[in-house]
Amino acid sequence: MKLTVHADKCRGHGLCYSIAPGLLEDDDDEGYVSIRGQVIDVPLDQVDAIRNAAASCPEGAIELIED
Amino acid sequence: MTSTATGDHTDVPERVPSGCPVIHLDASPPLEVGSHWHKANELREASPTFFNTHAQGYWVFTRYDEVREMYQHPEIFSSESITPWEPEPAYRFVPTQIDPPEHAKFRQLLSRWFSPNAVNRITPEAHELARRLVTDLAARGECDFVADFAMRLPTEVFLTIIGVPHADADLFVPWVEDFFAGFGGDLEQQQAMVDALGGIRQYWVDVLEARRGEATPRENDFASYLLHSTIDGEPVGDDLILDILTVLVLAGLDTTRGQLGYLFRHLAENPADRRRLIAEPELIPSAVEESLRLYTIIFGDGRKVAQDTDFHGCPLRKGDMVYGLVSGANRDPRMYDLPDEFVLDRKANNHLGFAGGPHRCLGSHLARRVMQVAVEEWLRVIPDFEVATDQPLMERGGGAMMTLLSLPLRWEVPA
Repeated sequence: MKLTVHADKCRGHGLCYSIAPGLLEDDDDEGYVSIRGQVIDVPLDQVDAIRNAAASCPEGAIELIED
Repeated sequence: MTSTATGDHTDVPERVPSGCPVIHLDASPPLEVGSHWHKANELREASPTFFNTHAQGYWVFTRYDEVREMYQHPEIFSSESITPWEPEPAYRFVPTQIDPPEHAKFRQLLSRWFSPNAVNRITPEAHELARRLVTDLAARGECDFVADFAMRLPTEVFLTIIGVPHADADLFVPWVEDFFAGFGGDLEQQQAMVDALGGIRQYWVDVLEARRGEATPRENDFASYLLHSTIDGEPVGDDLILDILTVLVLAGLDTTRGQLGYLFRHLAENPADRRRLIAEPELIPSAVEESLRLYTIIFGDGRKVAQDTDFHGCPLRKGDMVYGLVSGANRDPRMYDLPDEFVLDRKANNHLGFAGGPHRCLGSHLARRVMQVAVEEWLRVIPDFEVATDQPLMERGGGAMMTLLSLPLRWEVPA
């Protein structure tokens, strides 16, 4: 699975990196997720956390791309 | 809650379509706790949209998708006014009432002061402040949680993060109280609101005077930082700095207090949840999120229509006011399983308790941390407690942020 965070939708709520700290982190300045606009691989052991993180985003900014 | 026809209501405009029910709802009077969420549920299940004849009249959106859509489209839904019964407010909250693209300049200026990093920096001090408050209360065996804890802790932590003495909470607590008495729509409290705003403003005027003319900004001192900041190459200017500082106080202090009251009422009434949080403290953040969803203190959020738009069957005209019922959205069964239950380890909790879109609550990271710290430190010292009254608890009306007016708690003091 891959994930992308749509940069135009992310508003820095911070739930995704709180829920999935094994894969996501905040930028150290304003609190947005650091990988905005990128597509990254989701390791198998992170899939559950990432599914929760994506579904917890109040902006619907996280898109999961199933393999 | 539905009031009878009075001079506070308007006639129904002809363009309100037949599919859009009309209500006459003034949400500002205090009611028994839970009444506002119950009303929101009732409205949401009756219709996704309403026209409310309260004040000059405004549209109401009740469901999750529509409320989120309102938040995410500032080009249609301007923040020029955020109180639908007052389209031309006497105050201007910055950056709350600034629209994109101007808004981003202010957010960039402010975000890093309330970022996760900044919150982490003051977390040890937040723990200390919370521990001191709980320890002082513990021996008493009872307290009014709202006055003795929920109003104190967020204020002290907020003053700490912006770099002024936390003891000045003694000044801010009554000001914030007076302001919100008037802000919620109680016309008799308007003078108290104006006086409170004056007190807050003068406090910051004095803070700015004490810092003016210094060659470099003081470290971790927000007012000093603003004095040295520029927007578009120009100094921010005193008027704007005062607007910013004032809104941060009002937005930051009353809200966290309100949310803490509901969370601790829940814990007082649900010993199993208390025990689980003591056994599994890693669930505290999720319990805090769930309290933000289920016990949303924002009955609704207002916006002003910036361009004629057909929105889910409502023919909105430029200048109309709209009201997104956040408390309806956060319990929308179209979005949540068991929407009216407190699910301590809920997943997929995408609640709109901190709003959405560009105006996502600037202080959300701080508010979450204050609540997490409060639960952790309180349960450590007072693991068992209960609501100490048989009388119904009352909440301030939904015109401003809802909040418990008082929450008497009691617990056994070890001999």
